Amino acid sequence: MDVKHINPFINAFATVIPQLGFSTVKKGALSVKGKELLSSGVIIVLGIVGAIKGNVVYTMDMENAKKIASSMMMGMPVNELDEMAQSALAELTNMLTANAATCFADLGISIDISTPTLLHGKNISLKMSSSQVLCVQLLADDIPIEINIAIES
Amino acid sequence: MEKIRIVIVDDSPFSIALLRDTLEENGYEVVGDAGSLEEVKEVIKAQKPNLVTMDMTLPGTDGLECTRAIHEIDPTIKVIVISSMMDEEIMKEAKENKVSDYLQKPIDPDELVTSINRVMASDELYQLLEMESFPVFKESLLDGINRMTKTLLTFKDEYSVNKEYESNGITVLIGIIGKFSGRMLIDLSKETAHNISAALLRREPKNNDEIIAAIAEFANIISGNACSVLNRKDKALGLRVAPPSILYGDSVYISAPNFKTTTAIAQTNFGELLINVGFSRGEEKWT
Repeated sequence: MDVKHINPFINAFATVIPQLGFSTVKKGALSVKGKELLSSGVIIVLGIVGAIKGNVVYTMDMENAKKIASSMMMGMPVNELDEMAQSALAELTNMLTANAATCFADLGISIDISTPTLLHGKNISLKMSSSQVLCVQLLADDIPIEINIAIES
Repeated sequence: MEKIRIVIVDDSPFSIALLRDTLEENGYEVVGDAGSLEEVKEVIKAQKPNLVTMDMTLPGTDGLECTRAIHEIDPTIKVIVISSMMDEEIMKEAKENKVSDYLQKPIDPDELVTSINRVMASDELYQLLEMESFPVFKESLLDGINRMTKTLLTFKDEYSVNKEYESNGITVLIGIIGKFSGRMLIDLSKETAHNISAALLRREPKNNDEIIAAIAEFANIISGNACSVLNRKDKALGLRVAPPSILYGDSVYISAPNFKTTTAIAQTNFGELLINVGFSRGEEKWT
């Protein structure tokens, strides 16, 4: 697992988020986790194949997920994480990861991404295939989103 | 099969003549040409071609503006850019404007034919995937269970629903990437996962990690085998699988994606197992 693999995701966030009705982007803590993640709220998984192979997992708690979906839908109130809100969040991760793929291409690393799969629930354990997962917290208008990157070596 | 109908957009009569000859020699029908935005709109409305070859530099407009104008009239018309200019920035913009392929002048006739065939084949290719992918994944599951545990299974319900569902315990998720991308999902109860992993290991699993690892590898084999079979049906599919992710927790809900997926319930000796597969028509990938 190479730390430089995280930069495309950070760049993608900084590029895409301002286009979606958010005014500030901040970078939070960076951490390394084991292969098992524990999360409550919304989890969105996308597969990566190409010069590198793995998964990227976006996690956010339920209240923040609703706030993000609401901002993406021009401030429309989101009380329940309904189909529309889920679709908005899935599309967000699709845009972020596709943009990260372009950033990878600029580094000479060619990758393709799968469709996103969104899950939600409580106390979800998530096992990834790589032994280490890089995690970076990014904030869109102070709403935290965690990006977990598991690349197989 | 009907001839593919093509409109040539270029401001050079020489280029138009050259392209027309190349296309007609290779069995395509050139139904018109245009050199300005107005002419493009006119000929597209009048001819409704299947495909347009598009120059990038045009007087008073450019290839991307013309492409957008074409897609406003009919978003299903494929556009292949043929331009002397080719760099990463311009290709990126072309992709963003839903251009199907990008070729550089001078045009190699073989390259052009390959490109047209590939672009036009994508509708057929998606139909192939829609028709055949689910039976292939089911077959792969049956075959996998049979070869790895020497048991059989029967499929009961099969359905396509556009609603989220609650996991039975453990969800294995595998992203699929290729000409079209999608996913395979296997969902099963903890008991079923325990029973299958015991059969795969030929002993009691020592702990939860062993169960998870066995199920992950099992799903990896099923999806990998299924994608290989599909790739043999048409190698242009180029399907590859991402590593499995395994999720479990308290009341986990899996949401329906914005494309059609099909679900089947398999009745195995180890308990029930759900398999769900789907591919997105989405944007095509350039090869």
